[in-house]
Amino acid sequence: MENEKEGFPITALREIRILQLLKHENVVSLLEICRTKATQFNRYKSTFYLVFEFCEHDLAGLLSNANVKFSLGEIKKVMQQLLNGLYYIHSNKILHRDMKAANILLTKNGVLKLADFGLARAFSHSKGQPNRYTNRVVTLWYRPPELLLGERNYGPSIDLWGAGCIMAEMWTRSPIMQGSTEQHQLQLISQLCGSITRDIWPGVDNLELFTKLELPAGQKRKVKERLKLYVRDQFALDLLDKLLALDPKQRIDADSALNHDFFWTDPMPLELGRMLSQHTTSMFEFLAPPRRRGIHPHGGQKPMQQPNPDQHFERVF
Amino acid sequence: MEAVPLASASTIYHKFFQRFHPSTWDPYLIATTSLYLAAKLEEEHLRLTDIINVCYRTFNKDRPPLDMGVSYWCQRENLVQCELYIIRALKFHVSFTHPHKFLLHYLKSVYDWLDPVVKQKVPIATTAWAILRDSYHGNVCLEYSPEHIAVAVLYFALQCHGVEVPYSDTAEYEWWQVLTEDITLRRIRMIISAIIDIYDLEVAS
Repeated sequence: MENEKEGFPITALREIRILQLLKHENVVSLLEICRTKATQFNRYKSTFYLVFEFCEHDLAGLLSNANVKFSLGEIKKVMQQLLNGLYYIHSNKILHRDMKAANILLTKNGVLKLADFGLARAFSHSKGQPNRYTNRVVTLWYRPPELLLGERNYGPSIDLWGAGCIMAEMWTRSPIMQGSTEQHQLQLISQLCGSITRDIWPGVDNLELFTKLELPAGQKRKVKERLKLYVRDQFALDLLDKLLALDPKQRIDADSALNHDFFWTDPMPLELGRMLSQHTTSMFEFLAPPRRRGIHPHGGQKPMQQPNPDQHFERVF
Repeated sequence: MEAVPLASASTIYHKFFQRFHPSTWDPYLIATTSLYLAAKLEEEHLRLTDIINVCYRTFNKDRPPLDMGVSYWCQRENLVQCELYIIRALKFHVSFTHPHKFLLHYLKSVYDWLDPVVKQKVPIATTAWAILRDSYHGNVCLEYSPEHIAVAVLYFALQCHGVEVPYSDTAEYEWWQVLTEDITLRRIRMIISAIIDIYDLEVAS
């Protein structure tokens, strides 16, 4: 992605700037930046480390452990904090662009933190000329249909799709749409959310790949029917339906989602501290036994892109 | 480059030389690198090659353009190393709040109060914008808050054109007190005199 000889990677600069800007209870906070000494042992390439506050668990790890049980009130608390975090970063004009369960951290006191701003960037509502952001962002299973169809002028709604996938995962306990290729992912989306057509998504035919890809036709929308097997709460199903809207313009935003009846009916959102206090060991995804095939090791030490001959970057949570 | 990336580049430059004595570093190298880094930070992407060539051309007007030779690659390597050094010298604090957005808001507010005829005749916005840009030749941006600089620049621009904000003599508050808290006339005058000093510097050299 980055040109090797273009100096300090712009993605790292973006991440640092964004993390310095964002100060919120539901966003992970950057404590310090360190680097190793350049010595002959690392061929004079020093490594940079971003040091974050410590969070005991990540959501993917917790969900893959059958001993961890979330009550309805606790699920509401998770989603409420997640949407609060998203509302905050979106009102600061930042897109996360990598929403997934492994990037949602929880402290032992039950405070949720959005993490991994490695793909994040600032956005603006374009007037006149459309934005041309890259559409090669977001882990495939959480990638919204507009990105899969080649949209480059997107906005905060891409993060809300991911929030919908994560919300469903709170009940299903594994990612709901595990596509193997971009084409396959679109197929899975059509099977759950119905066929992608001009009628339900006006303007979709302007997207670059809409006419080039073969999309399943005649599929009915089955979000509520399919998820009913896991989710009994009517309000939860309704919110899921609104988060997983195909048309990004019709998808619910973080503010309206927080005002949804789901969060304001009994059982009310419940603090997570008590439930998590039963689990004293950290549960990161990478420590948990693999819960599915083709799992990618994320969460722990994660080497970032190594574009520069003079340094490379790693991330430690 | 646009106004804000240029302002960032100047801020980086001044911050760097606030920490290090100008004799220890080549100001031209720092200037070039500041431009490059600011373009990255403000998402106005410039290619390293272009920066090197344009800067070389500016510094050596009478010499032919730079060849893609050893000298070029050396400069490139220098720039990349220097960029890292600057980032570290600034302790990774590479986000800046500039007076531009405040100035824009203040201009809008004051414009609504002005006489339409005056508005048409006098280019207050252009003058204010130019003064703000020129202020970056010195380190005014490090000494005062962006809100205060914006008010002072606007005050200065109005003064230059001899424009009075209506009701100034009868109003309970001065117009600049309404725009931002904790500003005083003394402070406005300090900033303006700092900016005038910059213009004098230009004349002297």
